[in-house]
Amino acid sequence: MSQPRYQSHDAVKEPHAISLKVLRLSRPSLVTQFPLQQPLSSPSTIRPPPLPASLAYSPPAATNGDANGDDPNPDPFILSPIVNLPPSFGQAYVGETFSCTLCASHDAMTPAESAALGLLPGASRKSIRDVRIEAEMKTPGAESVVKLELSPPPANAGGEGKRGLDLRAGDTLQKIVNFDLKEEGNHVLAVTVSYYEATDVSGRTRTFRKLYQFICKASLIVRTKPGPLPAGRDGARRWVLEAQLENCGEDSMQLEKVVLELEQGLVYSDCNWEVAGGQKPMLHPGEAEQVCFVVEEVVDSREGEGVQEHEGRIVFGILGIGWRGEMGNRGFLSTGKLGTRHVKPRERKVTA
Amino acid sequence: MDPAKDAAPKGHTRTRSAVKATRPRASTKGPLDAVDVPLTSPLSAQPQQQQQALHHHHHPSPLPRSTTHSPAPPSHPRMIPAPLGPSRSPVPIFVPGPISPLPRSAPHSPAPPRRTLPARPKDFSYLLRPDVYHAVAADNVPAAFRVASAKQPAPDTPIAELLARGQFRAAAAAAAATLTTPGRIAPGDGEAIFGLLYTRLACLMLVDATAVAAQEVKALEDLNSVFYLDEVTGVHLVPWALRVLIVRLQAMGFGDPRRAVMGYYELAREARMRLAEAMASHDNSERELWKERLADLGVRVAGALVEMNDLTGAAQHLASLKEGRESGKLTMAKALLWLHLGDAEAARRVVKAGEMGEKAEKVVAALCDMADGEYGAALARWEELDEQSNDEMIGVNRAVCLLYVGKMQEGKTLLEGLVASSRASHTLLFNLTTMYELCTEKARDLKIKLSETVAAMDESPSGWEKSNADFKL
Repeated sequence: MSQPRYQSHDAVKEPHAISLKVLRLSRPSLVTQFPLQQPLSSPSTIRPPPLPASLAYSPPAATNGDANGDDPNPDPFILSPIVNLPPSFGQAYVGETFSCTLCASHDAMTPAESAALGLLPGASRKSIRDVRIEAEMKTPGAESVVKLELSPPPANAGGEGKRGLDLRAGDTLQKIVNFDLKEEGNHVLAVTVSYYEATDVSGRTRTFRKLYQFICKASLIVRTKPGPLPAGRDGARRWVLEAQLENCGEDSMQLEKVVLELEQGLVYSDCNWEVAGGQKPMLHPGEAEQVCFVVEEVVDSREGEGVQEHEGRIVFGILGIGWRGEMGNRGFLSTGKLGTRHVKPRERKVTA
Repeated sequence: MDPAKDAAPKGHTRTRSAVKATRPRASTKGPLDAVDVPLTSPLSAQPQQQQQALHHHHHPSPLPRSTTHSPAPPSHPRMIPAPLGPSRSPVPIFVPGPISPLPRSAPHSPAPPRRTLPARPKDFSYLLRPDVYHAVAADNVPAAFRVASAKQPAPDTPIAELLARGQFRAAAAAAAATLTTPGRIAPGDGEAIFGLLYTRLACLMLVDATAVAAQEVKALEDLNSVFYLDEVTGVHLVPWALRVLIVRLQAMGFGDPRRAVMGYYELAREARMRLAEAMASHDNSERELWKERLADLGVRVAGALVEMNDLTGAAQHLASLKEGRESGKLTMAKALLWLHLGDAEAARRVVKAGEMGEKAEKVVAALCDMADGEYGAALARWEELDEQSNDEMIGVNRAVCLLYVGKMQEGKTLLEGLVASSRASHTLLFNLTTMYELCTEKARDLKIKLSETVAAMDESPSGWEKSNADFKL
């Protein structure tokens, strides 16, 4: 995320008592480790315990005399079950949910600062009340901005009512926003913090706003191609719909499902990994997966034609693709309406 | 392949072109080059070849050198390392020093090399050269660990003590110093040299200097060459743990992660051979040892595939491994791999099908909830686990979950509690400093304070000194 741009709503130039920090909450990641044998240990003992410093975390103290018996660390495997918070913003992709935590904190003064004001260390000369956070997202296409819902909702019991939360020095008000990324291009997350700053003699409401800009990229290129098939048993028209899904992002993804949502009067059968009993396909950056469906008209004897044609064009419906990224990060895309120009299948020339 | 090779047995018609062909081969040697090593029994072929090799040094003309193209195993000059220089003349490096124990007269001896005498000591003096070892700077160590710390060890502290105190940077430096001090280690004392080398490389990896280790390991050149075999017993002179470590480091040093997979397979082939021998001779402890090593290599191959980001390959490989005594660990490895790959369903399936302890099952269940974005459910599981055991991993994961449900303050307190109970893994410190960054504009002060707290901790084999990166300083 690019450097925030400050936009002051205050006439006062005095620094704010509240700071705002954000962290994109992608999935936490499993920590890697390279277990090593103890140096200077006898070479031929069977499986000496690994050097504790080479493990991702210190093994729990042995219990019941069973040394590390219940430690789930799968050493010497490279992955360990302990997790790290996201180290960086990473890439934002269309189809994913953008999650971000917003933290408004009442910064305690450093000992030097409070000493200069003749206060006890950590004390503040101001009290901060009614801290509120609001967030909006500006998407590339939209004229207006979308107001984002913050979670967790204010808990009255915790003192955070409609007014906001009173923060003592060192306290933080933390909120989380979620936003489904649907467009490529520049997004701006705008966060507004307002609070009431009271000193012994006076008080005022202060507000500031920070903008966080990031670029959302496409993660998947979908190319589709319809083609006619010979009619089915009861004369129902049939088509094959092929699609090529190319991972154009920088991260690997595992395709979870590909589904068609068809217009009325059409059914389809899936010809992909699930019916073939295969593994879900893994797409590394730049790789493509070919998927295929057979779309068939429902011929109902009472109703006649099953599917509507508009100016010689048959609309099938939309294709939805769901995937999972590292540590299960979800993504879902759907195409626009797919269809085909109705070409009468050549008489029995094409064999299925 | 190489046409010169086919022509080789015809005799001395092999000339310059053959010589030229040897050079690139030597400089790109890797596990695959080793195919010609184990095919010939070291017991029968090696002495003869050794003699050839020594002849080369005495006749550095192109003609005898071309005999390296005979179908015999690679000869001595290939093993004399000159990895850092662009020219690879075998001669200058082999100038016998005053301390070299290698008998220079050997090639002139008319006695046939098939001897009953004990093996001649090898000359490992190329591992004692100071230019092999690089200095490890302390500039990525926070001030709290450097300045005014009474815990920084005295320069003459023995290595074993340094290791016990978790002073890995000092231990790495001490190992290199011992190796390079003239007269300290005899060039023929392989056991001491390789022990120190292992200490050196392992400690470098522990202080985040794996890249340095990957450079230094190049000095060993090709561990598959017959030079590293005992002339009499045919046993590899380098300890197993060091060979396993070197596989990964060499792959990194050459920037080719696939080498690691090949290297592990190479070792696995030997492990299988030894296992078969042990079984034939009904040597139970040997059998168990080699079984263990084989299983270990299997898991390491999967790790190498993960490092190459071939996650599906790693999953298939893990699925192909035989469940041994530690089937719980293997199941856990599979589950974590599926989670890393993003497939929580598969992780749950693996746990259902495998055998794991109750705690491990709950850990995977909680991680699966996190992968599904169900942080509230995951948090409940971590809390339950945390009540049952005092485990750093569970505490850290619980705190991370707290941040994802909007309770970072609670998570921060939890992590600070772990630090107070003398936990200080990289992960714990990284997560705590991330939370510090989120909760104040003045995170730097808190980070420095944290580094002071950790520096004040007792030294332990888990490691004492930390790096700036651990505190995001």
